[in-house]
Formats: sequence, C-alpha cells, structure tokens
Amino acid sequence: MLKARLSIGIVCPYGWDTPGGVQNHVRDLAEFLIGAGHRVSVLAPAIDESQLPPYVVNAGKPISIPYNGAVARVLFGPIAFARVRQWIQNGEFDVLHLHEPAIPSISLLACWAAEGPMVGTFHAAAKHQKVIYAIGPILEPAIEKLSARIAVSEAARLTLTNHLETDAVVIPNGIYAKRYANGVQRDKWSGNTIGFIGRFEEPRKGLQVLLDALPIVARFAPDVKVFVAGPGDPREIAKSIDPELRHRFEFLGKITEEEKADFMSSLAIYVAPNTGGESFGIILAEALAGGACVVASDIPAFDSLLGGGEFGALFTSEDSMDLAKTIIDLLRDEPKRKELARKGKNHAQKFDWDVVAEEIFSIYEMAMVGGEKITLASDSRSWNRFLSRDGR
Amino acid sequence: MKTTLAVALIILISLWYLSFLATRLDRLHHRVETSWANLDGLLQRRAAIALEIAYSDFADPASSLLLTSAAYQAREAPVQDRSSAEMALSGALGLLIVDGAIHANEGEAALFDELSALMVKISIAIAIHTDAVSSTQMVRKKVAIRLFRLAGTAPLPVTYEFEFDAI
Repeated sequence: MLKARLSIGIVCPYGWDTPGGVQNHVRDLAEFLIGAGHRVSVLAPAIDESQLPPYVVNAGKPISIPYNGAVARVLFGPIAFARVRQWIQNGEFDVLHLHEPAIPSISLLACWAAEGPMVGTFHAAAKHQKVIYAIGPILEPAIEKLSARIAVSEAARLTLTNHLETDAVVIPNGIYAKRYANGVQRDKWSGNTIGFIGRFEEPRKGLQVLLDALPIVARFAPDVKVFVAGPGDPREIAKSIDPELRHRFEFLGKITEEEKADFMSSLAIYVAPNTGGESFGIILAEALAGGACVVASDIPAFDSLLGGGEFGALFTSEDSMDLAKTIIDLLRDEPKRKELARKGKNHAQKFDWDVVAEEIFSIYEMAMVGGEKITLASDSRSWNRFLSRDGR
Repeated sequence: MKTTLAVALIILISLWYLSFLATRLDRLHHRVETSWANLDGLLQRRAAIALEIAYSDFADPASSLLLTSAAYQAREAPVQDRSSAEMALSGALGLLIVDGAIHANEGEAALFDELSALMVKISIAIAIHTDAVSSTQMVRKKVAIRLFRLAGTAPLPVTYEFEFDAI
C-alpha cells in the first residue's frame, strides 16, 4: 500500500561507520523505502565520508560518550546544529523520522529545529537512564513536537512512559525474514550443538554465563559443542575456559548473512544469555526466522519477543545453573525443540520488513494529515536570520 | 543603574519565555487538531464500510437495520455524543463478525479484511490523539499559561473514550 511518493528525512543519532542495532535498522528502513519508490535522505554522523551510501548525508565526526553500559558515538554542538538546520531547509521533506530523539544527539537537534509532521522512534530500554531523563523538563518541549511516537518494544515503551510521561505505538524492529528462511543444514554445526552470535567481549552479551553453564551441560551431554560467532579476539576468552572443555569451543569470527541462515537451521539450540541493555533483540528475531530453537535470558525485551516462553525457552538472567538445566532439558527432548522452532519461525514473520515498514508507513500517513511539509521551526528561523548563516 | 539593567533583563527573559510558551502551546493545539482529523477520517471510513456490509447479501435484514442506523448515528453525531455513537457501531459490527465472518464469500471477506486493517489503524490513531490531548492538558495547567491566558479562547481539549474490545 506504499502508494504516494514521499520525500522522507531520517535522522540516525549514532555514527554510521560503527555497527549497531539502530544503524542497521535505519539502513534497512531507508533501503526498503527507497525500493518502494520514495525519496529518502538519512542524516548521520560519520568518520569516513567516502564509505557512505548515496542516500546518507554526513553530519560530522561523532564523539564517543559512555551511555547505557556501552560507548555511544554521537554528535552535537553548534556546528552540528547548523548542519542539521541546513539539511532540514534543503530537504523539503514531507515527513521527518527521528531515531532516539531523547538522547543528546543530532536527532534531538533536528527535533528542536524542525516543525511539521515528525515521527520519533525510541529504541533504548533501561532502568538506569535517570541521568539522561533528569533533563526531562528540557526535553519535554522538544519531544512533544513529535506527531507520533514509536517504541521498538514493550520495554522501550515502558521506559518512555515512566520517564517522559508520553505514550508510544509499539512497532518491532524489522528483519529480512526470507533471507533466513531457507538455510541449509550443515553437518559440522549439527548434533548436540549450541550457538552464540555477538560481540562476545562485551560483558552484557553474557557469554560468561554460557561458559559457566557448560561444565554442567558437558556432564550430561559429553559430545556437546559450542560455536561462537561474532567480531572480537577469542584468545582472552579461551584462557578463562577450563582446559578440558576448550576443545568443545569453536570461534568462527564474523559470519556472513548466508552462513548465519545455515548456522541457525543447523544448530540444536541458539543461546542468547544477554544480561541487559538490550531493548529488542534483533538477533533473536533472526534466529527464530532461521528456524532455530532459542534459549534466552528472561530480560524484559527477550521475554516479550519470545511471548513469555511460547516461541523459545527462557532462563533466569545471569543464572548459569538455570541456563544449564534449560539446555539439558531441551537437548534431551527433540520433539519439544522442533515444536519451539516451528512456532518461533511462524512468529518471526511478524518482524519481516514487508510487515514492519508498512506499519511504520501508516504512522507517517497519520502524522501527515493536514498536508503540511517539514520546515524550520519558527523560533529557529529567526535565529538563522539573526546569524544570517543559512536563513532566507 | 545596575538595578534598572537587571530589571530590564528579567523583563526581557520573561517576555521571551512567555512567547516560547505560547508557541509551544500553539503547536500542541495544532497536534490535537491534526490527530483528531486523522481519527475522524478513519472513523468515517469505518462507518462507510459498515454501510457497505449492511447493504451486502451477507447481512440478514435485522442486523442490516441495526448496522445502518448505528453507522448513520456515528456519522452524524454531534461531538459530545460521538464516542457513545462510535461505541454503538463497534458493538453492532462486533455482533456481526462474531456471528459469521466464516460464512462470508470472497467480496465480503475483502470487506472484513479492510475493516480489521482499519481497526488497527483506529486504535493507533486513538493512542496518538489521546497522547496529544494529555500533553496539552498538562502544559495548560502551568501557572504562567493560566495567569497570562496564553491559551486564548481555544477550548481545553478532552479525550474521547472508545472501547474496541468488541471487535
């Protein structure tokens, strides 16, 4: 139903060159919308301008600040603000889509500078955002300009209602479900195998929980093997593993999308032991789409993505005993594994871009009722004239 | 001299603050209006589909009568009766769907599909509108806004209570 051709401006707050969930989401959404015939411009900070795809406009070099348990590469300041204003003025957008507008970034600056049909997507879900949200009274006038708010999960929506007293529509992150649907079973990854994908050096990804659970699992299933995929240096981690179990581990490094599909359909169990800081869990959606039987920690985002255990097994977060028990139960019960994987695969179709982009687009349509275009905010216009920089 | 300067500065800042608040409030009122226009448009479309279902072979004479009157009432209700009229229409549609969406033929099934897609949009539109209204109400409670009557003659927006568990 993507009928009318629109001009859409999307702002990505995080550095385009660094991998991350929000960046991937923005890239996929932009490419999907372009594929549907719309004109899309993405404003994002970037380090290396020559690597950018043609639809991305560079806003400047990002600065690293610690945020939400990781390092966020964002951008703000007067020069960035001038670029944001210029981008808004030259873009002639029908609708503006701001990602994560509640953190100090170009998304917030754009929210400040623009007026008209604006949609905001909130990705983060965390209990400890008091510092950021303590500036709520300052954020409020900007955030309330958004015509519609989207939260990527129930957890993200709760964070929003608790801290900013505003409601949001829940639209999940998108995946290309078809890319994972037809994975080929590979012998080397089949059998009593456990898989893990992610930047395993980051503590919040929870590889340590899996490592602690393995000695117990190995006692019940002596032939168990663990495959860890993802960028990082495995030597440090390998040192901490019991020498007798070390040969049970294999580090695959970064794998391609195609390998990922095969990986997911070959494994006995895919494990996501994340300890927090996760708002949606895109990798879980991909694992489900690939037909894997998923075991995940019961953090709020995973709990809601897996329907409270209907589409994958949950264990008490950071409890390696409980993880070991869950894995052993499933390794012994193949029909249950098959059943979970089948249900999960059906469920994952809800996250396909065809569905998700349609939902996002209908929010655009709702925001655009009234037929206005995006302009510089009236308060921002007079500043421009005063500074006679890029004002009319 | 110093005090005059300080007073002038304070007056200037408060003037700026008042104009800032007025712009903010104006934007919020605008948001309330556009989100209502969106919701209103969707509800009108729903009433139109309800009429189409009522005139199709699918509906028996009794439910056809019920649906037609509910749809007309929803379309023509004055603002204060709007939500009860829309709820009555939800109820009438609910009866029909519970009874026999299974018996629908191809054309009617398409109608029901359109209806359920519309219902999803309507519930989102309600959430968006309610949010706009409650933000506006919150800002209008501010002392400065009431003291300087920054809201002007604009009426205080109110939320409508729709129930959609019928569908």
